[in-house]
Amino acid sequence: MNGYTQRIQPGRPAGDVVIVGGGPVGHRLAERLHHHGHQGTVTLLDAEPGHAYHRVLLTSVLDGGLDPADLELPPVPGARGRRDVRVTGVDRRRQRVGTANGESHRYDTLVLATGAEPRIPAVPGMHTASGRLIDGITGLRSLADCARVRGERVVVLGAGPLGVETAVALRRSGRDVSLVHPGPHPLNRWLDATAGDLLARHLVSLGIRVETGRSAARVEAGELVLDDGGLLTWDTLVCCTGTEPRTELARAAGLRVRTGVLVDGEMRTSDPHVRAVGDCAEHPGWFPGLLASGWDQADLLARTLTGHRSGGRRPRTVLRLRVPGLHLGVLGRPGLHREAGAAEGDVVTFSDPSRGRYATLAVDPAGRLSSAVLVGLPQALATLTQLHDARRPLPDDRLALLLGETAVGRRTSVLPPQDADTVLCRCNNVTALTLTGAWQNGSRSLRALADTTRVTTGCGTCADQIRELCAQLATAEKPVARHEPPVDARASGR
Amino acid sequence: MTTPQRLVIIGYGMTAHRLIEDLRSRDREGCWRITVVGEEPRLAYNRVALTDRLAGATERDLALAGPELLGDPLVESRTATRATGIDRASRTVLTTDGAPLPYDALVLATGAVAFRPPVPGADLPGCLPYRTLADVDAIRSAAVPGEPVVVVGGGLLGLETAEALRRHLGMRPYVVEAAPRLMPAQLDAPAARLLAVRLRHAGLRLHCGVPLRCVEADADGRVCGVRLEDGTRIATRLVVFSAGIRPRDDLAEPAGLARGERGGFLVDGHCRTPAPDIWAVGDCAALRGRCHGTVAPGYRMAEAVAGQLLGAPAEGPGLAADETDTVLKVPGTEVASVGDAHARTPGAVELSYTQGAQGSPETRYAKLVLDSDARVLLGAVLVGHGRAHPLLRSVLGRELPSSPEHLLLGEPRR
Ligand SMILES: Cc1cc2nc3c(=O)[nH]c(=O)nc-3n(C[C@H](O)[C@H](O)[C@H](O)COP(=O)(O)OP(=O)(O)OC[C@H]3O[C@@H](n4cnc5c(N)ncnc54)[C@H](O)[C@@H]3O)c2cc1C
Ligand SMILES: Cc1cc2nc3c(=O)[nH]c(=O)nc-3n(C[C@H](O)[C@H](O)[C@H](O)COP(=O)(O)OP(=O)(O)OC[C@H]3O[C@@H](n4cnc5c(N)ncnc54)[C@H](O)[C@@H]3O)c2cc1C
Repeated sequence: MNGYTQRIQPGRPAGDVVIVGGGPVGHRLAERLHHHGHQGTVTLLDAEPGHAYHRVLLTSVLDGGLDPADLELPPVPGARGRRDVRVTGVDRRRQRVGTANGESHRYDTLVLATGAEPRIPAVPGMHTASGRLIDGITGLRSLADCARVRGERVVVLGAGPLGVETAVALRRSGRDVSLVHPGPHPLNRWLDATAGDLLARHLVSLGIRVETGRSAARVEAGELVLDDGGLLTWDTLVCCTGTEPRTELARAAGLRVRTGVLVDGEMRTSDPHVRAVGDCAEHPGWFPGLLASGWDQADLLARTLTGHRSGGRRPRTVLRLRVPGLHLGVLGRPGLHREAGAAEGDVVTFSDPSRGRYATLAVDPAGRLSSAVLVGLPQALATLTQLHDARRPLPDDRLALLLGETAVGRRTSVLPPQDADTVLCRCNNVTALTLTGAWQNGSRSLRALADTTRVTTGCGTCADQIRELCAQLATAEKPVARHEPPVDARASGR
Repeated sequence: MTTPQRLVIIGYGMTAHRLIEDLRSRDREGCWRITVVGEEPRLAYNRVALTDRLAGATERDLALAGPELLGDPLVESRTATRATGIDRASRTVLTTDGAPLPYDALVLATGAVAFRPPVPGADLPGCLPYRTLADVDAIRSAAVPGEPVVVVGGGLLGLETAEALRRHLGMRPYVVEAAPRLMPAQLDAPAARLLAVRLRHAGLRLHCGVPLRCVEADADGRVCGVRLEDGTRIATRLVVFSAGIRPRDDLAEPAGLARGERGGFLVDGHCRTPAPDIWAVGDCAALRGRCHGTVAPGYRMAEAVAGQLLGAPAEGPGLAADETDTVLKVPGTEVASVGDAHARTPGAVELSYTQGAQGSPETRYAKLVLDSDARVLLGAVLVGHGRAHPLLRSVLGRELPSSPEHLLLGEPRR
């Protein structure tokens, strides 16, 4: 995890950069290179047709909340973006890449940002005799995948974050949705049984058929046979059964590849002129497959290539589910958080089944949060996210921390005041201070702030917090840097 | 001075003793002459402390009655005498001891017996219940240091018994519990897991979630082992039953008295049977249909009946609904369960703290059950929090006076 400091090598500028892959991470890298004053050219090549877009917002297209055009990313100033161009080979000796349409691009630095693709499970009957996926079966990774969803009845395979969000989005669009998952509850790699059951109950209340503990045995025309003999009919079968890093180019070029393209702390592959970032890269210091990891890597690499120092700590792993009506968040790395009893330190659990609220916090011996799962406690989630990011110790009264001052008003308020440098939009690393500044310079709505600071334009889960901040600023015109704790908290006996 | 009325008590155990004591201390006028009929060949003793007998306590150490009671002319005790019937028409109690005993008031205090699971071999020689002083003496003389002993029942009493057999008699106890976890009535799953870690660490062998299938006999017809439902066999020459109790209510039927759903003499909130001159107290009483099985509620019942016999009106709220407060009497475990431990109160919320690594006997656990506002303490489950237990018990039913961390751990750490 020491990839943050870097050796500055002024004698060896990055020169002309070619980025293969214009997904969110490749796109971010190009933008960051520009931001940090990169001197050479930047060429961004992507195989997908049409504009570059926000991949994580795809489920909003599925539920009809957004048009595909709403997802478009702005062009990167100073970069040459090429779409519908597939890179087919890398000539490392001559430092050139070749494309399917016969182009050739020279590089001083090549960056692989080829991402990942859906893993289609080996279920009999999914493919035609010639080895193609049969019609109506798709992964969910691109706009083209979204366009393949048709008909009323949809079966979603896999209840990880993508499967759950996809099922909810499709259900919200009025479809008949079944969610099939071999684990004991949805998101079982992230959630313990109590949180998983709350999530399952919520999905059922939305009208989704939740088939946990079951897996697909066989696909027949329009039908899915489960391992317990059950039958589900489908017009579309969506596989959300994991992703695999796209590594063909790297392999063919003779770079070291394990699951992903192996990189060092400065995203360098086994060839020093070739870097890899995002979902296609593998490094033990990053949790794989998360946008936040990819964006951190892009920023880190842009700084490295332009001779800047590292940009401080990256935000830590967070999962927030985009499921309307259910506030569910995971902080820290799952798995380290199984059952009660991490290696050392405390585990605090709060459970309120009648109101669908649950929290479990693992606290290290220094009193800092190592991981947490929260359901139905949005305020606590926001507070804990800040404390977790800042690696600050939790206040001692954990019940007050979880329930806020309203439930325990007689005690000392524990909600830490928001710092000016509190990161509100984690995807784009936008702080409260930046937002306040933008507000004072005239960006006086969520939309305007999004345009000037990019806040909410990543995963979108910070929108509620930003709206709240707008309301506060509108009523008080008070700088966040001196943001006071809520009035009723102060009144409660300090 | 009028001639005293006749009170007959059937059963001479802990609550009978409390009734006698209480009545005698309050009955200044000497309105009642008491005859207590007890089947055991001795005066009432402290059953709760019976495990001390395994550590060598004498009968005198366990005795309850002091000299003033023994010399009391208004108290007659007939030990080694069993009541065999009640004739409500003639208001007499039949005993193994000759003439029927006439009564003006009758109190049933027959207690309970240890439950023997109805499996083949459960009454072979070498199978012993754990309820009376005679039982404990029999276990003591059958015990061989270093040898295995199977204790059937992983509840409060079974664990106490098993640990005492290990500690005081040097045996190698195996605990067999049919439920998936220890002390299912009092503990939640995490607490039961941690308790198991602590007990295993102390040297007990635990088999949870597997019922006993049978007790096996050798050629002489003595116990030589037990077999569990999953096929496991444990070789042993001694099997001790601590798998719950059954109220002794066999006198109900012939006397035409009603039983509770799960046994016991059915009484109202004032310990009254439907017969105006008959009460029931202690483990044998199904108070509003529910048997208690611990001594504190029995004592409250005895006191309530003493009051009624002395003319206090049987009105008001009756005996308080069950306020459970259980401590496992196994040194070093610090396991307790208070109030609504399973959060059955509608809207209740739970807050738990686990400190230390899973699988370590040092790990401590505390769960607080709070009302829906997370303010009022309704119950608690504790492992390794011996110090917090009395404090929490005193807060039960009231608002938390300070943060849970403070209550559990004392001074805040930071
Ligand atoms: C619906 C959805 C929701 C998600 N939500 C979240 C979330 O909330 N939080 C989170 O952290 N992550 C989320 N993810 C995962 C996140 O989208 C990925 O981590 C992220 O997209 C990785 O970015 P990337 O640029 O590395 O790879 P990709 O987004 O996969 O982009 C790679 C690009 O490279 C192109 N490419 C590949 N090979 C070639 C080639 N040979 N030539 C030219 N171009 C090529 C591909 O066409 C693609 O456009 C979500 C994913 C989806 C699908
Ligand atoms: C080892 C052990 C440890 C315990 N530890 C605890 C503890 O820590 N805390 C706690 O609260 N409780 C404990 N208990 C339970 C407690 O001992 C009982 O709740 C209490 O003894 C009940 O008192 P009782 O008078 O109702 O019944 P008992 O004490 O059982 O007395 C009933 C008496 O009636 C006699 N009798 C029955 N039928 C007849 C008849 N027909 N004629 C004549 N006599 C009859 C019986 O022989 C017996 O002597 C423990 C029990 C045991 C065995």
